[in-house]
Amino acid sequence: MNARQAALHPTDLPVAPTLDLAWVLVEEGFTLAREHELESLFAIGNGYAGSRGSLAEGSALSSPATFLAGVFDSEAGPISGLAPTADWTRLSATIDGQPLRLDNGHNLEHRRVLDMQQGILWREWRHQNVAGRITRLQMLRLASLADRHLLLQCAIISPENYNGRVSIDAALTGTVTELTGSSTTVAMAAARHVLDSAGRWMGSPQQVVGQPSLEVRLGETYRLDRMVAVYTSRDTGEPREKASRQVERAIEDVNGVIAEHCDAWLARWKASDLQIEGDAAAQRALRFAIYHLSSAANPGDDRVSIGARGLSGTAYKGHVFWDTDIFMLPFFILTYPEAARALVMYRYHTLSGARAKAARLGYRGALYAWESADTGEEMTPPFVVSPDGEIVRILTGEQEHHISADVAFGVWKYWEATGDERFLVDAGAEILIETARFWASRAEREDDGRYHIRGVIGPDEYHERVDDNAYTNGLAQWNLEVGEEATRLVAEHWPEQWRALSRRLGLDAEEPGRWLEVARELYTGFDKQTGLFEQFRGYFALEDIDLAAFEPRTAPMDVLLGRERIQRSKIIKQADVVMLVHLLWERLPPQVRKANFEYYEPRCGHGSSLSPAIHALVAARLGDAAVAERYFRQAAEIDLSDKMGNAAGGVHAGALGGLWQAAVFGFAGLRFTDEGPEHRSNIPAGWRSLSMRFQWRGRWHELTLPGAESRTTGDDP
Amino acid sequence: MSEGVLLVPLDGSEQALAALPVAKVLAEIERATMRIVHVGDRKPPDAELLRRLRLEAPVLDGSIVEARIGDPAAEILLAAEEIKPRLIVICTHTTAKPRKILGSTATNVLRHAPCPAVLVPPGRGSIAWHLHHVLVPHDGTPTTSAALRPAAELAERASAELLVAHVTDVSAAPAESGSLTTPRYVDQPHHEWPAWTSEFVKRLACICPLGHLHVRLVLAHGNPAAEIVRLAKKQAADLVVLAWRGKWEVPRAVTLKDILREAPCPIMVVRA
Repeated sequence: MNARQAALHPTDLPVAPTLDLAWVLVEEGFTLAREHELESLFAIGNGYAGSRGSLAEGSALSSPATFLAGVFDSEAGPISGLAPTADWTRLSATIDGQPLRLDNGHNLEHRRVLDMQQGILWREWRHQNVAGRITRLQMLRLASLADRHLLLQCAIISPENYNGRVSIDAALTGTVTELTGSSTTVAMAAARHVLDSAGRWMGSPQQVVGQPSLEVRLGETYRLDRMVAVYTSRDTGEPREKASRQVERAIEDVNGVIAEHCDAWLARWKASDLQIEGDAAAQRALRFAIYHLSSAANPGDDRVSIGARGLSGTAYKGHVFWDTDIFMLPFFILTYPEAARALVMYRYHTLSGARAKAARLGYRGALYAWESADTGEEMTPPFVVSPDGEIVRILTGEQEHHISADVAFGVWKYWEATGDERFLVDAGAEILIETARFWASRAEREDDGRYHIRGVIGPDEYHERVDDNAYTNGLAQWNLEVGEEATRLVAEHWPEQWRALSRRLGLDAEEPGRWLEVARELYTGFDKQTGLFEQFRGYFALEDIDLAAFEPRTAPMDVLLGRERIQRSKIIKQADVVMLVHLLWERLPPQVRKANFEYYEPRCGHGSSLSPAIHALVAARLGDAAVAERYFRQAAEIDLSDKMGNAAGGVHAGALGGLWQAAVFGFAGLRFTDEGPEHRSNIPAGWRSLSMRFQWRGRWHELTLPGAESRTTGDDP
Repeated sequence: MSEGVLLVPLDGSEQALAALPVAKVLAEIERATMRIVHVGDRKPPDAELLRRLRLEAPVLDGSIVEARIGDPAAEILLAAEEIKPRLIVICTHTTAKPRKILGSTATNVLRHAPCPAVLVPPGRGSIAWHLHHVLVPHDGTPTTSAALRPAAELAERASAELLVAHVTDVSAAPAESGSLTTPRYVDQPHHEWPAWTSEFVKRLACICPLGHLHVRLVLAHGNPAAEIVRLAKKQAADLVVLAWRGKWEVPRAVTLKDILREAPCPIMVVRA
């Protein structure tokens, strides 16, 4: 027990909720129909475990769930999904026989607070039951960032106007083990204790079975702590024993667990906070993004990645898309490189699945799964039943091949930013080689003497089976060149490892040269006269539809026009050529960037949550502050607007990563050259300043805009 | 055993009789007694009343017939206040060449009824009616979910399918907190649509219990009335249930009026 804890009243928590509105998300009252949405927004997590912010006692619309990264269930068929584990958050009480529930009696006060600064979900509740008994509760829930195997729930109970009997039902007691459909054993061990105002134990930590029943007195305060330790057979051969031992230790110092957790979040924020002065909504949205991204990352496990909804919900089954490599990874590379390393290593560990997919389709090298789970095998289902009952074929798993270049892009950016030689030699080079090798076999030389990539889906998924998608070909070209560069780099600096690697991969001395030839002759769809990339062959001949005529609208354009019409039109789902402009910014002349943004932006329907942030980013870099700000706000509202309902299945982790990039690469104009980081302030007029830290090649930098130069601190944050 | 009453106003016209087959089936489903009310300027003898109402003996089995004197709408509403019926089943018009969407009596009954009203188009005549498919337009708001409770209960008692039609208002999302409308972003349709459908039904069910009902959700966009009428025809709906906020004067109730104008089946109107 430290000095801070020694001064506390026995039932006091060692921390209080953060009051600064820029650090919290607050939900006052109770709207039943919003519960699923709030459960996602108020989720807690540490990258190992994530729990939805469900009401402890439940409601008619509660879907409590805890997910463990990498623990999938394949019982339902060949498509694996994240497996929900035992509900450790369930906690209900009755007061003199009356259940304590939001829908029973009168809620004098009810507030839920996601304390992003401390990584805690708070709940404050004053409830009057039908007999008039008033009870005040404060509840805390966290997934420890200091020890990722610990989950904690505390409840402070104060009877305001009665003496009575409180019975507590904590559904998870003792140690529970489950076997998932994918043969992972999950062990959860729970321990609890109850303290009264005098610090007396009411029951022992070992009393894990049954419902504790307390005689409570008016004016007194009581505290229930429930600690849970979780291990799986992915972590250890003895998950049950490890969980039991750990929870026994942790329950002895609950305040210590809370304090260490808060310290860990403090350190995380010190490295990753992005401060905005002059725009409270933007500040909160960015902190919300950073909070959920950080909650989903675990540098200690490089065999898992971050799914499209992180660990906050069941939607997208925990599958990993390009969202991670292109939208989320830059945040981690610059603020949490250890977590970034784990993410790129996940792609290394799933390389065998990517090789198998390429071989199955008749190609060489590695074609990553469009949807990846634990093994790297393709997890995209072949069809879906639409709301109209129509069976729709899903082609993304077969045709969205740009994923391989996206993975390579993330790998190279990680290497560039960190200079992590060991990663490059042991893993990164192999990914770059195998993806380059894939593109060299995927592109075919045709009668015009050029190489072409036919029958793909680009980021604009409204148009399927297209030829020479500009994004795909542009990134493939880049991938081929960088693959060749990686071979030279490793061969030059680590010749011994290079010999072993090239032998293992069967790479002869001429092969990288052939990649360059393919890259050189690859059709890009670029028109020198106009400076435009044609998004795919034949795009310019499609029907032009004025999107502005449909505004304001709340539905995606493919719903309004139907699939067939949209495929015959120039309306695109999300940034495609604009995405290419963003990623290959340095390679394109300024007039080309501008021309393509001006052409494609009015034709983009933003049917994907990934789209608005990238448009904000590119518009900001092009100096169009008004357009950039409009898209930034649209991106910020994707999860936070209570009119979308989109977040019920989990937060949009890719869009959150995109929002962060819009601020950093767009408004701050941060870029990296061989000389180091550079920036150009494009911040909106209403923002007084933007400040952040980032790490580049092992050194920390501080950046404050507008006006100041970035400063290298060299210190840990 | 009878558990309630259905009020069925008849004015003696042939058109009004279109309400009877519908009311009869609803009474069976609700295990309710049909109470036929006729309002005139005098109380005729029983035999004459039956003749005037064109009622035949089989229709009267288990029913009550009552004659009242006064203004038809006022007396029907007074009767409704007294007997607290589950439903009022009434024909939309009883004139051969109607000039308005609803006749004056039906309009007043609809506007002031203390219970849901079932409006039956006169054109369906005396053809037997059944209740297999109930179409429920839903704007995604919790208010509509709450209002649809009687419809869900009716469908469950009838073992009918509840077809929930979400017609998107593409220009603006409902302002009401907890509303769920067509998703603005559909990142991956095969993940998004099943999740959205499930969420829509769960949000409805947490406010309007669906029991063991067979529920199907369909999505449409465009003019709400036209889409509802289209879906009612396409899905062979036997009954359309509309949640209505109670405002009738122009420019309110546009959708309700348009549906009443074109509806191919009876419309049940419940207050939101």
